[in-house]
Amino acid sequence: MFRKKWFNLLFLIIFISATGNIFAFAAQLPKKFPFEKKDALDEWQEKIFKGRVFYSVKANKDDSYLAAYSDDTASGIFYRIRFNPKQLPMISWKWKVLKFPKKGKLSCGGSGWIEQDDYAARLYVIFPKLSFNLTKSLEYVWDKSLPVGTIKESPYSKNIKIIIIESGSKSMNKWVHEKRNIYEDYKKAFGREPGKVGAIAIMTDTDNTQSTAEAHYDELKVGYKDESE
Amino acid sequence: MNLNKRKAKFIGTALQNKTLMLVFVAAVLPAAIIAACLYYLIFNMLAWQLGIPEAIAYNLVPVARKVNLIILIALPITLFVIWFMALELSHRIAGPLYRLEKELNERIEGKKSGPIQLREKDELKALADKINRLIIK
Repeated sequence: MFRKKWFNLLFLIIFISATGNIFAFAAQLPKKFPFEKKDALDEWQEKIFKGRVFYSVKANKDDSYLAAYSDDTASGIFYRIRFNPKQLPMISWKWKVLKFPKKGKLSCGGSGWIEQDDYAARLYVIFPKLSFNLTKSLEYVWDKSLPVGTIKESPYSKNIKIIIIESGSKSMNKWVHEKRNIYEDYKKAFGREPGKVGAIAIMTDTDNTQSTAEAHYDELKVGYKDESE
Repeated sequence: MNLNKRKAKFIGTALQNKTLMLVFVAAVLPAAIIAACLYYLIFNMLAWQLGIPEAIAYNLVPVARKVNLIILIALPITLFVIWFMALELSHRIAGPLYRLEKELNERIEGKKSGPIQLREKDELKALADKINRLIIK
């Protein structure tokens, strides 16, 4: 009797914590982030790495977007969402770069590469694992110089893969639409099947180059199947 | 009666084996579970708190590596200490029982007479006293 009571209590604790976690990540998919209202950032968490990047929603009558301005800082906005990228592989958004961080002439992978790890605009897809040091991340980046299609390891960790999907200043000050297949990109970057997506994040940073950068983001949509396929 | 310290701590009886394992597992298992839970919870919660993968790689991973190194060094020492203490405890229980049995056998066979004496720190002294009262009667 006594043992049964303890077993029930243990089961209840496990059940509450498990369902609590599920509900914490649960979101109606596809999840859209139109950045239309001033309080649109309330559902995002701010994550500060080095100093604070100024993120704000500009909501005008005819246009609304997320604006990011970084001055020698690195912080991101972070949204926890859980879905299987094999079933719902697509992510799309549009972005606009107004100013790139100033980088010296260093080749990719060379000495001092960490000092170059600043991007005007980047979007993370994070794949958490049971242990934090196994967590993998994809970063979709708009870089000024690296060619489109480049997939490289982050100077910080081999679990972070940077994918250059826009390059150069030709499209600067223009909205550029992006649509990516997370599942395929992960397989290409890591050479294996991805686990579940646990979060997405947006970051504009200039802490390593100690310069300034500015970008806008909008129409972010995540966790859906591509209708055109 | 020779009541010097026993030389061998491990007498190899089934009772000592069982006691030794029980004490060792009872000490190590809960500690290991709590330590693993704390390790997992603290580092994973910190990782979620940091959020940005670069921040985790830059700030948290080096700390975790240092903690892992400390664990790697401290764990064998801790296990050895627990094993030694478990051996000592199991010996205090199994040793006197072994001795009681041996002494009783010797008295049954008529090789020895008089009361049975146990060592100062031995357990089961109360039981030995009662047996001695029976012997004296």
